[in-house]
Amino acid sequence: MKPVRFRPVKVMNFLLPCLTILLLPLSVVAADGRLYVNDKKAPEGRQDLEALQNRLIEVLPKARAATVCIDLGEGSGSGVIVSAEGLILTAAHVSTGVKKKVTVILEDGTKLSGRTLGLVAGTDAAMIQIEDQGTYPFVEIDRGESVRLGDWIFSLGHSGGFDQERGSVVRLGRLVRIANSTFQSDCTLIGGDSGGPLFDLSGRLIGIHSRVGQQLVSNMHVPMSEYLENWDRMLDSEFIGEGPFAEKPVKGSGFLGLATESRREGGLRVTKVGRKSPAEEAGIKDGDVLLKLNETVLESREQMQGLLKELAAGDEIILEAILDGNAKTLTLNLGAR
Amino acid sequence: MQKPSPSILVRAKLVRFAVLCGLISPLTAQQSLESDYRTSGSEVVAAFEVQRRVLQTSSAVMLDGRKEIAYGVVVSQTGHILTKASEIAAVKSLSVTVDQTIYRDARVLLVDTIWDVALVKIEADGLIPVVFAETSALPQGTWVVANGATTRTARRLLAGIVSAKIREIPAAGGPALGVVLSSETKRLVIEEVNDKSGAKEAGLQKGDVILSIDGKKVSKVEEIAEVIKDCKEGSKVEVTYRRKKVEKTVEVRLGARADLFEEQKNRNDQMSGEYSPRRSGFPRVMQHDILGSRKVVGGPLLDLEGRCVGMNIARASRAENFAIPVEDLRELAARMIQQGGP
Repeated sequence: MKPVRFRPVKVMNFLLPCLTILLLPLSVVAADGRLYVNDKKAPEGRQDLEALQNRLIEVLPKARAATVCIDLGEGSGSGVIVSAEGLILTAAHVSTGVKKKVTVILEDGTKLSGRTLGLVAGTDAAMIQIEDQGTYPFVEIDRGESVRLGDWIFSLGHSGGFDQERGSVVRLGRLVRIANSTFQSDCTLIGGDSGGPLFDLSGRLIGIHSRVGQQLVSNMHVPMSEYLENWDRMLDSEFIGEGPFAEKPVKGSGFLGLATESRREGGLRVTKVGRKSPAEEAGIKDGDVLLKLNETVLESREQMQGLLKELAAGDEIILEAILDGNAKTLTLNLGAR
Repeated sequence: MQKPSPSILVRAKLVRFAVLCGLISPLTAQQSLESDYRTSGSEVVAAFEVQRRVLQTSSAVMLDGRKEIAYGVVVSQTGHILTKASEIAAVKSLSVTVDQTIYRDARVLLVDTIWDVALVKIEADGLIPVVFAETSALPQGTWVVANGATTRTARRLLAGIVSAKIREIPAAGGPALGVVLSSETKRLVIEEVNDKSGAKEAGLQKGDVILSIDGKKVSKVEEIAEVIKDCKEGSKVEVTYRRKKVEKTVEVRLGARADLFEEQKNRNDQMSGEYSPRRSGFPRVMQHDILGSRKVVGGPLLDLEGRCVGMNIARASRAENFAIPVEDLRELAARMIQQGGP
């Protein structure tokens, strides 16, 4: 094939079949995956608009079934289930820490208990695991970073909190900016949407809602790459990095709100309970007896203080106690000093 | 760079992120979509030319002097227009633009306080009324369009999708007469009458003693609450009161407690810009995600066929717009035109 240089047309003829073959699998993907309107700068008329609308209507039910409300008691955010076993992706400022209890509410109103796994404090990525056994509706993650600037996308979330009459709220928009660890879209977000999912029009998860700017078009999402890069560490409940989206728990920052004295028969007798303290809220009263803290037998006031010093505000503790003469196991969270 | 603002969790404590977010956006290696190609951009909106032409003729522009304050739905050839009542309530001389003609003689014929809809009449003939769609039951994700802005001669359109289920929006904070009652006496003595309230409109005054509501005797605040709790915002109750030994009964329109007593803006309100002052207490609404301003209310909501599927009735927040569904709108238009006369 020496004369190639002089016969460029022939080269093209030769190369074209090769290219076509290479491109074939891609165009198959395009047929049932990527919507052709995404490759136009703007929809050109009725047909393109209907293609967008019909695709959205088609993929919406599955996306919605996997979208959940994360109820934190003092507020709520959103999240999305990504495995049949109930692994949820959300935002770090929703989960706020690792190994915390949260309530997960499905679209139909079913309430489940969940526990926060790891988070990336610097980019707002986090995971939660549903603890109730079950098979849950879930969505596929876009693992190939296939989404491009200008692609049509949609967001779901429990804006302003869970509302069964309304359901989760869907918004359509375009990916308007890609920067470092952030996607920006013109799907308007509002309080309660945090942690909720952003999808491409194939119904694949591409991002998680994080924050908004003053303008209606400034809606920021954490891209999937942030999750995929930190996947195993997050599964291991690791608190990755430092703020601004979550603050690392500080040892010794938690408080229980009671005073005790040791008892000859073992355990500690409660001598005082602080008003509105976690201890009071758990139902502990003067005269009750504490036996074990996180499975360690309690022997002295100083020993218990030492155990608490290793814990932080928000940490969950398990207390075995005798309340009003009855043996009880209490699960409560330490308050912030 | 725009001012970063709070992360979007519903929680007061997290306001501190407002400042912190600024630190994490050193936007290197960024790609950005030109604004003309964004969802509300001119290149995208151009695909909706058919619907824009419908807005041109059948979406009226409500004007206070030269200032646009809302839109309206043209519902008859002879100049009947429906709009959002609370947005035009304070206007002294209301003008209306239909297509390219300005009408300076607009009269408010009547107001439906439950839906917050006013029937406005202009002296015109040969207008093109909206064509009502069969149903408002569109699947979520369906395109809808509304009047977004206007020049003196042309409408500009905004597009969005149906984004939630059709439902009732109860009065925020519950229904209220709009009076503050004295807590010192055992009788229900009015201490203060709210300026925007139905109580004020009905002529109730400080010192009046409320005796009964809808014929039921009341002597405690809780009893009033019990009688009105299931009433709709905008509906009326009969209030019997005593003033200087004379008993009288008046009809009082109920408002939403949150609107009357301006409860503190929550974080969602703060991040929403201007929203409709009356945004709750609707028997049934559709919800859509059009990125509009406060004045994107009163006009028709159209489907891809250009048919009217509803009427925009409130911008509730940056992410939520409400519209009266076409079934209710059609009935409302017919009833109001009949009551309002020619």
